[in-house]
This record gives sequence, C-alpha cells and structure tokens, in this order.
Amino acid sequence: MIKYWKYYSALGLVILISLGFSNQYTTPLYLEVPYGWPKPHYNFKDNPLTEEGFQLGRHLFYDPIISRDSTISCASCHLQQTGFTHVDHQLSHGIEGKIGTRNSMALINLAWNKDFMWDGGVNNLEVQPINPITNPIEMDEKLENVIFKLQRSTKYKMLFTKAFGDEKVTSQRLLKALTQFTVMLKSSNSKYDKVMRKEKQYNEREQRGYDLFKTNCASCHKEPLFSDDKFEKNGLAIDTTLYDIGRFKITNKKEDYLRFKIPTLRNVQFTFPYMHDGRFKTLTEVVKYYNSLGHDKSLPKELAKPMNLSDNDRVDLVLFLTTLTDKEFLFDKRFSFPKE
Amino acid sequence: MNKKGIHIVFLFLFYFQVYSQSKSDSLALNFSLEFNNLPIEVNKKYVSSNKDTLTVESFRCYISNIQIHYEDNYVFTQKESYHLLDLDNPNSFQIPITKKSDKFISKISFNLGIDSLTNTAGAMAGDLDPIKGMYWAWQSGYINMKIEGKSSSCKTRRNEFQFHIGGYLPPYYAMQKIELIYDKNATNINIGIDLKNFFSNINLSETNSVMIPGKQAMQLADYSKKIFYIK
Repeated sequence: MIKYWKYYSALGLVILISLGFSNQYTTPLYLEVPYGWPKPHYNFKDNPLTEEGFQLGRHLFYDPIISRDSTISCASCHLQQTGFTHVDHQLSHGIEGKIGTRNSMALINLAWNKDFMWDGGVNNLEVQPINPITNPIEMDEKLENVIFKLQRSTKYKMLFTKAFGDEKVTSQRLLKALTQFTVMLKSSNSKYDKVMRKEKQYNEREQRGYDLFKTNCASCHKEPLFSDDKFEKNGLAIDTTLYDIGRFKITNKKEDYLRFKIPTLRNVQFTFPYMHDGRFKTLTEVVKYYNSLGHDKSLPKELAKPMNLSDNDRVDLVLFLTTLTDKEFLFDKRFSFPKE
Repeated sequence: MNKKGIHIVFLFLFYFQVYSQSKSDSLALNFSLEFNNLPIEVNKKYVSSNKDTLTVESFRCYISNIQIHYEDNYVFTQKESYHLLDLDNPNSFQIPITKKSDKFISKISFNLGIDSLTNTAGAMAGDLDPIKGMYWAWQSGYINMKIEGKSSSCKTRRNEFQFHIGGYLPPYYAMQKIELIYDKNATNINIGIDLKNFFSNINLSETNSVMIPGKQAMQLADYSKKIFYIK
C-alpha cells in the first residue's frame, strides 16, 4: 500500500488540478469575418462565444417561455427562412394578437451593427431583447419573471450550467446568451459573395443590375453589408395612422425627423414587406418608388437626383437584388429550431 | 498530529482577527435622504420653498466612480464603483470604500449617474442589472435618478409627479460630477441628500413629469447637484 502512495497522491493532484479547470469545459466559438469585410462592431471580449452559450441562446430564441403567457418567442417575428423577419405583415404583431407600429427588422449580420431598431434607440445588441420582452404589445413580460421561470426549468438549469458553469439565471446571462446566438447570424454566401470570391459569375442582366445598383443605391446600402450605420429619410410621407417620427424621437434633433435606419439588403428577396411600416409589398414597388424621386430639396443628396431607370433597368436591378439571397443562411440547421 | 491541529486552529483565529479588524477600520460613505435637514419619511407632507406641499414615495439614484482625495494629493479611486441608493432598501445608503488611513481627507468626489461608456457596454450585473428598474429599454441608457411622489400642486393623475432623470448622448449627457470639500479624518463620511434643494428650483404645478433625456432632464440634473452636502 505504502508503495503506491506516490502514485495515489499524483493521481489526486491531477484530479484536483482538473477540477480547477472544470468550469472551463466549454467549447470556444468564433465568428469568422469574411475576407474583405470590416471589423465587427460587437465587442466579443466581454462575451466570449462558446458552443454552449450559443446553444443556450438558440433555445431561448425559439422558446415562448420568455413571453407573459408563453405564446410568443423571438422567432414569432423573426423567422429564419425569411431572413429572420416577420414576413407578410406590414406591422408585426405580438401577444394576444396586438399589433405594433413597425415592421420587424431582419436579423442578419448583427455583429456589424452599431445601433439597433428602426430609430437606433438601442445601443448594444445585448440589451436589444429587453424591448420585445417587456413591450406590452410584444411579449409583455418582466425580466424578473423570465428569470424566475427559467430557474424552475430543468432544461434551462442544465443549459445554463453547460454555458456558465452553474445553474444561476441572471438577466446578464440571459441577455449575453441570446446575443451569442443572434451575433452568429452571419449571411455571406449569396451569389453576390460567390461572384466577389470569383467562384461564380453574373449573367449579363445581373451584371447590369449590379452596375445600376452601384450607381443608384450603394451610397447608402454600402457593400459588402448592404447597409450603413447612418439614419436617413427617404421621402416617404408620414403614415398618419402611426405618426412614426423615427430617429427624431431618440435624439430630439430636427434633422432626424423621419429618419430611419438604413437596413441591410441581404436576403431582401424574402424579407417583404418593405420599409419601417411595411408599406411596400414587392421589390418592384420599392424600386419604382425610388425611381419616382428627384428634384426635391428636402431629400438627402443621395436621392436628390432622379434615377431615370427604364423598365428594363428596374427589372435588372431587382434581379441583382435577388443575388443577395443566401440559401445556406436561410436554411442553416445551426440557426433553426433546436430539436430536443 | 494533535499539535498540528492546534496550529491550524490558531492560524485560522489569527487570520480571522486580522480580517475582522480591517473590516471595522474601513472607510464608508453614509448617505442619508432628507428634507430640510431631517430624514425623509415616506408619505409625510413637506412644503417646498415654492409652497408646494408634497410627499416622496420613492427615491433611487446611482452613485458611481467614488474618489477619496487626501491632503497629500493621493487619490483613492474605487474600482467597479456603481452603487444604487434606494429608499426602499436602507442598507444601500451605506457604501464601504476602502481601509481607513491616518491621512486627512481633503475632498470626496463621485458621479450622480452612470458614465456614457457604461451606458453603451451591454448587459450588466449587480446594481447595474436592468431588472433594478433604472434602465430605459426603448432608448438604451440608465436612469441616473428617480424621484416620485404626490403633490396637490400637480394637476396630474392622482396628483403624481415623476422625475426619471438620465441620458448619455450629448448634448443631453445628464451625469453630474459631485465634489464635496472635507477636512476631517473620519471612518464614516456622512453625506446628506436634501431634496428640499431640488424642489426649491421647480414649481410642481408646471414641472411634474420628466421621463426622457433632453433639455428638461439636463435642467433637473443640474439642480440635483445641489442636493448633496457633508454633514
């Protein structure tokens, strides 16, 4: 027995040391930045991504437990197959069929976003979910109640332990986990991307559409994200049933009256209807609208000159926009409803 | 074997002693909420210098970045210094700071509210947890100070007044730096928060509901600077 004491104590030491690392049994996860893309805006340092955190966030995203009566989940208004937005509803609806005042935004490449919401009122992806959770016409729930409900669930006890080392549920852990999921929603495999990577080629009409896009649209919908941090007015008359004044409500600055976020155009083929209030059903209508502008001093300089697009031009432009569709993203199993 | 055991017991007692000593010798900020130099009582009627009769039902504010300035110019800056004072939680008004020093303290400084960097840093925990009710979701940002109550001067629903003062985006960056001159060597620094000096600046019949960042919030934030004093 004495002979083995060294062996046993060494074994004991190894076990002790590995116990010390036991809370690090998570698999690190990284968001790969496609070649030529800018640096993400999200600060990963304060929320290091792990497979376990991502999976917890994914469960939370698809679970109606976070709404007051367990009927609404994030996915209710953010469907994967339509670019994580609420398709076919001008204004998104929430709990008990209540209808909101805006068209839900697509959740695509959020790591590169500086501000969130049509008016940019939210300054960090992590605090974004507080809005739909607490909004009386969306999920109408209190963060305290969400925490309480998750703490009682065996499933979430396990998922929180896997992600954070113990089963404690806090608002910070809830929000950071949700962010681990939403920040990973990267779309970079559309035909456009493949053409840029020289893996595919545009046909003649798509190429014409791309050239028209670069001349007429790209100053706001900047490549490769097809969006911008900025807010802009696009000449749409205010909807007198909503009186949505946009960014002005947040900043109180005159110039921000009727300014809205410039949304990404990635997967735009499937994110209909369009605009903050979903007033256009089709891309053809959107392009027609922009083509009707011009000679208007109240418009931003990017829209001040008329586009003068012919019927063929407009068809080609829409054709180009459909090359921003990324089927791999829209049907990526890692982003879909988690089967138990 | 027995002897070793005794050693360990003594060692434990020794550390315990040292630890508890350092605790009793710590420096703390003790805030007290007052009206006209007397501790606030919830639902008691007070009269402001503008002849508004009022009751205070809730008061909460963030005290952050506490610094102790000593007479030899040394400055102690508290780390992770974010504290929510809440009238419903009397313990929150005592903030332990650091070990007591023999040196004289010349100045206490802190911020009333939360700095802009923290306002954009995402989901926070502890006193900064958004479940504390001091966070705006639709327009991200912390509420620096909340004062709510009733006054017959307010022609509002149930005669209520509500001040939620905050905002971090210039030009409406509402956080206030408070500096209080001090010339003692003490373990407890007693700081009064006298709401009389807040209500003396406003007429509750006109100003009774400010709950968004902006010009009015900035004005009220400026008045809030004057409510702190060394007792």
